Amino acid sequence: MAAPNNDQPAASASASTSDAALAAPEDTSIEALARRVQEHMTLANNPTARRHKFWETQPVGQFGDVADVSLPDGAIEPPSPLSEVRADPYPLPAAFEWFTCDLDDDALLADLYALLAHNYVEDDENMFRFNYSPAFLRWALRPPSFFRAWHIGVRAKESKKLVAFISGVPARIRARDDVVRMAEINFLCVHKKLRSKRLAPVLIREVTRRVHLENIWQAAYTAGVVLPTPITTCRYWHRSLNPKKLIDVGFSRLGPRMTMSRTVRLYKLPDAPLTPGFRQMELRDVAAVTRLLRAYLARYVVAPDFDELDVEHWLLPQEDVVDSYLVESPETHEVTDFCSFYTLPSSVLNNANYSTLKAAYSYYNVAVKTPLQQLMNDALIVAKQKNYDVFNALDVMENEGFLKELKFGPGDGQLHYYLYNYRIRNGIKPSELGLVLL
Amino acid sequence: MGGDWQELAQSAVIGLIFAFLVAKLISVVLAFKEDNLRITRSAPAPAPSSSPDAAAPALDGGDGDGDSDSDGDWEGVESTELDEDFSAASAFVAASAAGVPEQAQLRLYGLYKIATEGPCTAPQPSALKLKARAKWNAWNKLGAMPTEEAMEEYITIVDEIFPNWSDGSKKKDGETTMSASGSKGPMGPVFSSLMYEEDQGNESELGDIHVSAREGAIDDVKKHLAAAVQINIRDSEERIPLHWAVDRGHLDAVEVLVNSNADVNAQDNEGQTALHYAVLCEREDIAELLVKHHADLQIKDGDGNTAQDLCSSAWPFMKPAN
Repeated sequence: MAAPNNDQPAASASASTSDAALAAPEDTSIEALARRVQEHMTLANNPTARRHKFWETQPVGQFGDVADVSLPDGAIEPPSPLSEVRADPYPLPAAFEWFTCDLDDDALLADLYALLAHNYVEDDENMFRFNYSPAFLRWALRPPSFFRAWHIGVRAKESKKLVAFISGVPARIRARDDVVRMAEINFLCVHKKLRSKRLAPVLIREVTRRVHLENIWQAAYTAGVVLPTPITTCRYWHRSLNPKKLIDVGFSRLGPRMTMSRTVRLYKLPDAPLTPGFRQMELRDVAAVTRLLRAYLARYVVAPDFDELDVEHWLLPQEDVVDSYLVESPETHEVTDFCSFYTLPSSVLNNANYSTLKAAYSYYNVAVKTPLQQLMNDALIVAKQKNYDVFNALDVMENEGFLKELKFGPGDGQLHYYLYNYRIRNGIKPSELGLVLL
Repeated sequence: MGGDWQELAQSAVIGLIFAFLVAKLISVVLAFKEDNLRITRSAPAPAPSSSPDAAAPALDGGDGDGDSDSDGDWEGVESTELDEDFSAASAFVAASAAGVPEQAQLRLYGLYKIATEGPCTAPQPSALKLKARAKWNAWNKLGAMPTEEAMEEYITIVDEIFPNWSDGSKKKDGETTMSASGSKGPMGPVFSSLMYEEDQGNESELGDIHVSAREGAIDDVKKHLAAAVQINIRDSEERIPLHWAVDRGHLDAVEVLVNSNADVNAQDNEGQTALHYAVLCEREDIAELLVKHHADLQIKDGDGNTAQDLCSSAWPFMKPAN
């Protein structure tokens, strides 16, 4: 939704390839032909593998690579000398101009908020639209040593109205034993009225260029669609906290032979957390939480490499942005367990009674002494206390171990994770992924 | 004398070499230019609705992305069947270039350029670049041929060369439509909602009057009652129709039922009354109506909870003083 997508993969494929094909007599070689035939076969045999003209030109794992065991894991292309990175922004249609959004400026933040609130991701039936709060956007876009130049807006030259946006934030992400400086790319959004202008690819190229200018050559991003090529595909699970509202707004459905009253009772939670020593994380806990988290994330094939500054930014509680709780042993006062979720409300479109759905999204959780299921149950309890309507979690890390037991139900949304210019040849399982992108 | 010849031959040779180098230099420069041209050419993803959008050429440098347009807002609406057939045909040609006769290749090339970019405005490549010149000629000679005409002829030629070409690509089209139906962007998060699970509560067996009460179909409820259906008839979970009307929040149906002497204190197989249901489902108007009809606030359900115990709202009519 952020920006319109793949109406015409066939068409897009045609652009480059028919040109390429016609240019073929100039560079015909047996290998090129063989490759083309193989690509064609791959596409014919694999229904998920559609042509992606843009992504086929990018250093990302290609669908055809899967069978090729000779390709090593790691960077697909070596870094270029910075002098070879294009110096000027990519051209935009005449009526538009690039515009770096300074999120210190409340007015600009409000513009960005409004663009996203009206034009960002919706569900398939257009009943809900993500409504990231201004405070959330500031949090998400300004982690330690962020680059202002990576908050890239496009505005109309005349009206100065913000019409499109894309962002990156720097992160250290470990893939197997390799800690890589990456950009996390997010919040790609094009105004609904401009979806025909094909701004999205220019935005992606421009953010890539600006990332390269900082001598960073890898990126992580997610998408709801299959592009070349996911490192893993996760599913969302949902735990009803306010089942009546979820049913009323159409987030979930009530079976014809199920009663609302029984559903409400099914999802009832205790009034207060059950684990002794369960409390909100504070600034003084940063070191302990960092230790817990680093040790825990080391288990995963792909995970962020957090230091204390990162933990302070990403996990120290902020009202209605991110919540973190930990278990401090009542005897030893040692921090033994940790859980967190972030707040992402959605606008409820066209409902007479409700305008907002308040959702908590499971973030990073570490259970050492407390069983994970009990820890997450306490997370559900505090989320319910804070009036969240639903608690969402991906089946990443160890989450599968508590989803069913804690009455999460499977969602209709799949989230594909991608790395740019980094190959993990056979992909990984969701349970091997230790990375949550907002 | 012999020296003159030698000198002449020498300068002729040098001249030739010089001329060759100059020609080579020009051709290199042109080739370089043409390469750039090729990048720009393949750039704008050929909007099947290749509307002569004034803004599109400006995007050339940015390389078009076919993945970036699914929204029906504007362009999608204009995208016709012809556009889609053309896209499919050109994709097919791209994938099977080896089988296209050279003569047809050039014709297809010209038509493709017309369909995706319109009349040729690129400068004529140097005569030294035979291939590029031939392609340019193929494009240029079509002049101001309309886009639609170019697409149609393109498809006709592909039909002639590969009579069965569409078998494979039609399938591809189907997938395209399917995957484009979502409003998911090319990148970013996904909105997910609960998948509906059919088996939820499937063990319950309801009578017709329970269903009518559940749907709030007052007339049907009245019909059942007129047909001497018991008003307090139980379903498989021992719910009476009143439970269902309360559960789904049909105030008018509840009214009809209590006015027809439904048992306001009937308990289901878990000991819950209609008032328990009203409280759990936070249906204040219905709860109030039930209390007015002398619903008992003190009845305990299987867990030992009265309706009062379960009531989290401060409804005055639920006060024990009653």
